[in-house]
Amino acid sequence: MWLPVLGLIIGVAVGFLLDLRIPQEYSNYLSIALLAGLDTIFGGIRSYLERMFNVRVFISGFFFNTSLAAGLAFLGAFLGIDLYLAAIVAFGVRLFNNLAVIRRIILSKWLSQRD
Amino acid sequence: MLGQNRKITFILTAISVIIGVMLATQLQSTLKPEKVESRSLNELRISLQKEIEKHQNLLNDISKFEHLLYQYDTSLNERESISVMKEELARARKLAGLESAEGPGVVVRIEDMKLPPGPLGTDDGSPAGTEALPDLLIDEDLRWLVNELLVNGAKAVAINGQRLVATSAIRNVGQYIQVNTYTIRPPYEIAALGDPEVLVSGLKLSGIEETFQLANKTVVLEKRDTLTLPPFTGNQTIHYMKPVKAKGDS
Repeated sequence: MWLPVLGLIIGVAVGFLLDLRIPQEYSNYLSIALLAGLDTIFGGIRSYLERMFNVRVFISGFFFNTSLAAGLAFLGAFLGIDLYLAAIVAFGVRLFNNLAVIRRIILSKWLSQRD
Repeated sequence: MLGQNRKITFILTAISVIIGVMLATQLQSTLKPEKVESRSLNELRISLQKEIEKHQNLLNDISKFEHLLYQYDTSLNERESISVMKEELARARKLAGLESAEGPGVVVRIEDMKLPPGPLGTDDGSPAGTEALPDLLIDEDLRWLVNELLVNGAKAVAINGQRLVATSAIRNVGQYIQVNTYTIRPPYEIAALGDPEVLVSGLKLSGIEETFQLANKTVVLEKRDTLTLPPFTGNQTIHYMKPVKAKGDS
């Protein structure tokens, strides 16, 4: 269970070491993709805790969600509509939902273990 | 089930790594945003112009400092040549007799005859003889002696402590002999630097003893291993004389 957290830390370290930098105008797309990725990973953790985890769903969800979010933001910029707001709201709500479910599951597990 | 669990953990970890990299990139981009060229062409031209000017100034500075370096280098070389010139000057002063000189040599002492022989001595007696003697020895004798010394390879000559230089004169003034405009009195002592053997034998060969016997003097030749001659003490001013510049001299 702690391995994904460790992976996250390693990834951050590698990212800082690589010193990758993207131009300002593409920073929006990356932030949206990042949000989608976070949403996917929390969704994955939730489904794992609910024992409904499917590897294919998870991986395809991750890549599809991130690219969809970035594409939506790109399309929005192309059309002059702030479509990335939709992505932010959708992924933000889902993120909160997922986190809430994870919290409840962990809390109930902890409580049942204590009893 | 355990294998499935491991697979899930592995995939979660991999995705976490990817997300971590994205997160780091995003953070870095926001913390230290890349400078994007947003100036217009005109501004760019102006700044290019400024940079070219700056470059030109820097080039000028470089050439200035290189020139300075060149000057310092040449002055260093000149300092070397100054030391060479100093050495040359010291050598010239030594040759001109302006420095005291030391080396092996000969001292020629011309003294009164101890026992005045013959009727001359018996008539006058020794005190009378001393009065008469200066008349007998004249500048010609000393000039001849100095000449003999120089012929036999003397490098420096001094008469009674008066160093002979290129412009030295030996002449009779009244009863006495003057060397370098200084009056010298008997007994005369002529010191010469050179090979002592050669000098002594040369003087003997030229008949120094006989010559001075005529003037009622005895000559004592002393070989010395180390002999110190004083420097020329008169003041030397250069008049009526200019160096002639040879063609090709800069």
